[in-house]
Amino acid sequence: MGLESIPVVTQSASDGLTGNAAAVLREIAARLESLAKEGQSGIIDLGAMPLSPADKAWLADKLGQGEVEINLELDGPSHVRETRYAGVWWLLHHNPQGAVTGEFIEITRIPELVLAHPADIISGSESLNFLIDDLC
Amino acid sequence: MREQEGRLVASLAQQGISRRTFMKYCATLASMMALPPSAGIAMAEAMASSRRPSVIWLPFQECTGCTESITRSHSPTLEGLIFDAISLDYQETLMAAAGHQAEEALEKAIEDNKGKFVLIIDGSVATGLDGAYSCIAGRSNLELLKKVAPHAAAIVAMGSCAAYGGIPKANPNPTAAVSVSDIIKDKPIVNIPGCPPIPVVMTGVLAHFLTFGSLPELDKLGRPKAFYGETIHDRCYRRPFYDQGKFAKTFDDDGARNGWCLFELGCKGPITYNACATVKWNGGTSWPVESGHGCLGCSEPDFWDGGGFYKALSMPANPLKLAAGAAVAGAAAGVAISFANRAKKGAAKAAHETTTLADLEK
Ligand code: SF4
Ligand code: SF4
Repeated sequence: MGLESIPVVTQSASDGLTGNAAAVLREIAARLESLAKEGQSGIIDLGAMPLSPADKAWLADKLGQGEVEINLELDGPSHVRETRYAGVWWLLHHNPQGAVTGEFIEITRIPELVLAHPADIISGSESLNFLIDDLC
Repeated sequence: MREQEGRLVASLAQQGISRRTFMKYCATLASMMALPPSAGIAMAEAMASSRRPSVIWLPFQECTGCTESITRSHSPTLEGLIFDAISLDYQETLMAAAGHQAEEALEKAIEDNKGKFVLIIDGSVATGLDGAYSCIAGRSNLELLKKVAPHAAAIVAMGSCAAYGGIPKANPNPTAAVSVSDIIKDKPIVNIPGCPPIPVVMTGVLAHFLTFGSLPELDKLGRPKAFYGETIHDRCYRRPFYDQGKFAKTFDDDGARNGWCLFELGCKGPITYNACATVKWNGGTSWPVESGHGCLGCSEPDFWDGGGFYKALSMPANPLKLAAGAAVAGAAAGVAISFANRAKKGAAKAAHETTTLADLEK
């Protein structure tokens, strides 16, 4: 039995816009400008803001959908989505039970999480060479 | 390769935890701790590249519930795996060594990591009869603590017993149990109370320590503010019912079935600082109030002596009028502790005496 089956009216479920989404949108714009001018990346933690479901829907609508979508399976599904604005990414993390554990907007060329780590590339190259050595 | 072996990420990789999974975990951990999102990346980098932190864990007067909370759950949690991945140099319950070997391991761990290891204590310290109530290898917990603590970089008092004395300290406290901070005064100590504590709090504290070389911000009881900054009641999803004065009167009435507030059934949520309502238990599955039982107040000092788990926090001043006033008392007493409405709080206070855990103890 989940929370849905208990008839609770939660306060945050209010339909109204709080005005916070517009502030987040301005912050995204400012950070995108500094990414363009100085190459400076940034992240915004949506979980740290008092955003109502309506706020999030408004923000998602304003940011729109870009060309890239990446699904990752990292001890629960994660989803990286490019928005209509190049350099603005929406990240959504879930735990294995399916609950949302984190939601971020990352302003960068490509989110850090997607990039292959140099140390992993080195060990990948080593194991591939081992594999080839074993072939002959 | 050898050098790599000591590293946390390599050790996690052996257990099938990829770097990205670890990065995701650090990002959500930083978010949970209300740190800026860049801290998540810093944590992942610092924890991944640092040598596995040396941890010495001393179990004192305890029930092993705290160890269970961290190491076991029905599926392996990332907290459990990170805990396995730290260099746990001494933990009597988990280590293979026993007897003299175990004692040698302790001496060696202290010698090798002097001034650098994190000392985790679970259980209270018995001080009666010179500490004779709880001994390991012929040494009292008190003696051991005084010997090991001076060499630690920081101390984590894990669980309500180590943090406040806990159940061993409950009246009449036959062993004269005290908390770690009652004995050790000159070391940074972080209290992680709870009976048991929430596993992610420990990983959060360790991650913070490894990344920034310091303990996270603490409240006046030495608890990390990020996890103990708000009461259970502040974040409880049944709060709207409390505010409307809708209370379950028994565990099987219509109110209980409708998910109403458990205040009158003894919920200690309003005076209990802990993260259960947001972090939840068992991988976010549920938590006590969601399962239909009030909060016991397990992360507050002396919760065991609080006067009964099923006794509501506020009672009418005159107990003789209790029966007659019971129906009204529910709504009014509920309002008495509402932090959200200070005006009503004042009015209710005038009509009723508010009883806290500390008052009940007297
Ligand atoms: S009294 Fe307990 S059940 Fe009621 S709102 Fe507060 S924490 Fe939730
Ligand atoms: S809900 Fe209350 S009693 Fe239960 S674990 Fe959390 S703080 Fe402890």
